[in-house]
Amino acid sequence: MAPPKIFISGMHSGQNPCSGVGIARCLRAAFPNLTLVGVDHWQGSSGLHDKSIDETLLLPQWKQINDAQHGDHILSILNDDHLWIAAMDMEVHWLAEHLGAHSNLLAPGAKALELTAKPAVSGLDGLGFRVPDFISASLPDSDIHYFLRQHAWQCWLKSPYHDAKRISSWIGFVKARDAMAKSWRTSKLFLQRHIIGSEETIAFAAYQGELIAAAHMQKRQITPEGKTWAARVTAVEPDFLEGFKEAIRKLNYTGGGEVEFARDPDGHKWLIECNPRFPAWVYGGALAGQNVVAKLIAHVWNMPFLETVNPYPFFTRVVQDIPAKESVGIPLPPDPATMAWASEGKKGKSGPDFSALIPTLASAQEQHSKTPDKSGDVPEHIDPSYFTEISSLTEQYVGPTPARIHLEQWARGRFDRLAKRVKQASLNTSRIQIGFSVKTCPTDDYLRKAKESGFFAECISQMEVQRALSFGFLPSQIILNGPGKFWPLTDKPVTGLHALYCDSPEEFDRVIALPGIAKVIGFRMRVPKVHSRFGNPLDDPRRFSDLIHKMKKLQGRAELGFHFHMPSWAIGLQTWMQALDSLLIWCQIAERLSGRPVKHLDLGGGFFPADLERLDISGIQESVRKALPNVGTLYLEPGRSLTQDGEILVSRILDLRKTPDASLHEIVVDACIAELPLAQAYSHRLFFKQIGSLEANSPPVRLSKGETRILGRICMEDDILSDGVSLPESAQIGDYVIFGDAGGYERSMSYGFGRG
Amino acid sequence: MGLVAANLQDPIAELVAREKHFQEWTEHPSSSLVHHDAECCERARLWFLAYARSMEIGNISQFEIKAPIWLQQLYSWGPSSWPIAWCELVNKKVLDCGVFAALAREVFKAQGHEVHPAQALLSYNETCTNHWKALWKKGKDDTVFPWIGDRLVYHELCVLELPDGTAKFYDSTWGNWYLSQPRFGFGAVLAVRSECPRLLRWGSRTVACGEWVEL
Repeated sequence: MAPPKIFISGMHSGQNPCSGVGIARCLRAAFPNLTLVGVDHWQGSSGLHDKSIDETLLLPQWKQINDAQHGDHILSILNDDHLWIAAMDMEVHWLAEHLGAHSNLLAPGAKALELTAKPAVSGLDGLGFRVPDFISASLPDSDIHYFLRQHAWQCWLKSPYHDAKRISSWIGFVKARDAMAKSWRTSKLFLQRHIIGSEETIAFAAYQGELIAAAHMQKRQITPEGKTWAARVTAVEPDFLEGFKEAIRKLNYTGGGEVEFARDPDGHKWLIECNPRFPAWVYGGALAGQNVVAKLIAHVWNMPFLETVNPYPFFTRVVQDIPAKESVGIPLPPDPATMAWASEGKKGKSGPDFSALIPTLASAQEQHSKTPDKSGDVPEHIDPSYFTEISSLTEQYVGPTPARIHLEQWARGRFDRLAKRVKQASLNTSRIQIGFSVKTCPTDDYLRKAKESGFFAECISQMEVQRALSFGFLPSQIILNGPGKFWPLTDKPVTGLHALYCDSPEEFDRVIALPGIAKVIGFRMRVPKVHSRFGNPLDDPRRFSDLIHKMKKLQGRAELGFHFHMPSWAIGLQTWMQALDSLLIWCQIAERLSGRPVKHLDLGGGFFPADLERLDISGIQESVRKALPNVGTLYLEPGRSLTQDGEILVSRILDLRKTPDASLHEIVVDACIAELPLAQAYSHRLFFKQIGSLEANSPPVRLSKGETRILGRICMEDDILSDGVSLPESAQIGDYVIFGDAGGYERSMSYGFGRG
Repeated sequence: MGLVAANLQDPIAELVAREKHFQEWTEHPSSSLVHHDAECCERARLWFLAYARSMEIGNISQFEIKAPIWLQQLYSWGPSSWPIAWCELVNKKVLDCGVFAALAREVFKAQGHEVHPAQALLSYNETCTNHWKALWKKGKDDTVFPWIGDRLVYHELCVLELPDGTAKFYDSTWGNWYLSQPRFGFGAVLAVRSECPRLLRWGSRTVACGEWVEL
């Protein structure tokens, strides 16, 4: 009988390599006479040409594989006493589903895969890891938007199998979710909070529940893709090892594995994921004296191996040219058009395509369906009274569409709650004054509510000032901001304003020459690190000195104030609070150096509705009191947070488009980006109501995430109002699709288009 | 207190023997910035501290120590003339390691950490040190400290004293944390010295004030 061989899959060795070559090199170094067979499904996997490989087994692409036949083939190899080391995540799942356990198959089984699935990785509970907060990307967009805001727009979108994409904006998220869902043919994606910490990994080998070897790797250099380029590899800490052995026993784990985590500077370990195969850097570990692959084989076959000893426990990578093997061959050149202009600017193919494998992996799909939808605090975003008002208004609605409908009760509630909070908070150290942002939604309804609530009007032009005056606001109830506050130049500027915040030192020189322009004159501050085109930049010490000189000129002319406006909805509330802390320091310094007391502090607007209601106003008052005891009045300038969800847009379905298998994949509605210009800028809650049920008084239903795109009525490529909802298959032309969150800027920035 | 060349192990002793400034390095106190005790310096210092705080915006980490890695974006490394005052340095584009370390100490202090000056002796090849010598010559006058030797260089750092008595050495010029394990090769760390008035633990080592600790 021929001596047994070791079959190793995953021979791709590009920028994002599989671990097959590393495994083969580990074995070649430890067992010079073993026969190693490189297995792959793509001729372009360059690891097949590596000198550590004795033989190659090239198989058809995964989508051409007959499951039963492939299973029989591998089984015959295993039954002939050869070993098979699976080095690709997707292949490990396939083996668990189609082959099950075999003493010569070095890959974890279904139970181990289930318990080590991302993001919770429950099988490693009790080992001192923390799991970063996560949320399913299938939950309603409003929940996901909240999660991203909570985590300062610093998250990762991950597929359950492989792949991660950094997310820092809503548009970026929607695009990445769409691309990843298509690439991996699953909607079971999730978002996970980014953790700042040094990247570390534990590579391990186990056999039938016994931990055979483990090595601890700390990355020293990484590639732009985040892959290891140089690292230190040492033995695993004994304290951790004991618990880890027990976890492996409970998982009945067999094969290679990799636990990836980040260690923050406080020493906390944050679990990123557990991969069910050896890592690609495993040979680097062997060079550093930690050959976990060799130890596994030595255990399984009960044979000695050559150990590498390296007193300097580091490795690094190098790009190496090697002769290609004729027996493997090189793929034919791609069509020149593909070479020059491939997707995402990449030239050529970067590795084997696993996507065809995914639909066949019922167990993997099942396993991921058990993953919890979220961790951490993600509140429900549909208040019953909000939903009731939408139901009631749509029941009564008869008329043309698209139609914007004002939610009077809901909007009134937003104003009343804020007015009440402000009144209560003003009993504390500093008075709180609201300046309603006129530009956001300058309708009579909202201006009236603002006035009745005791709010000031925050304006950005002389036109808006005139609008506020005509509505009954006094000049002393107006705050003037923005880069174009004296537009139109033909109008004489209104004087006697409450406050005016200069956007540049040059503007200050003009403002100070206008007698009695405002009680408070100050500066809008552009805090370093926060990207903005507005306000006075503070990142140059000479410009800062110039500002201090100008502040001194206010003596006897006006009270000093500062204005700061960073939309917390775009940067997250946590970052907004950090920016506020930083602003307070700048104001403290300005007060100290100019000798002018800071009496007014305007914190601007840009809050998402739910975020403003969660804002810790008394906490902010306390921070301001400590930093700037002369501040008598704190200002907030909400607009979006008071009006965004105060209106809905009712539209009707114009067309329904189905796939060849009759599932609804697109609808066209009579609304468009002219009515919803920010459709793609943030999440909107969506509702559906059938014509029949409208007449029958049944309430609309909220639409969850799904596969049906909602397209607008106009002939513009970007007129896409939703990239996917779960619409009932029974939907018909004329049924209602209702867009929530259609007030605020959606109203004020809307325009007439395509109406003849 | 000095690092005594005679007590060093070969081949380090060999390296040291070639360095004419070795004694100066081992006895050199850490650099500190001049404050003119006037508004010019106070304004510059306060501007810097406010700027440092702004640089922490968007850092979502839970931990307390936020190293000023942004210093290398604000300033380049190169020769500085000593003494240097606050009002001069904020308008500079190029600073040496002594200024970097002094600025980093201000940032850590503002974050509420106990931080002290620290120094290191590092090893580089002669090609490298020759380039640095040329760069420093170009940077004009002789007010600079002769920190560059043939194969060894003098470098300034800062050391954080953690509440549990452990030390963390931070290289503010390059934005790295030193590890307590020996570091070999290009930029090998031969020894460090802390000016923390208390004994600190650093890995398996004990670091006493003013004593060079050989790695």
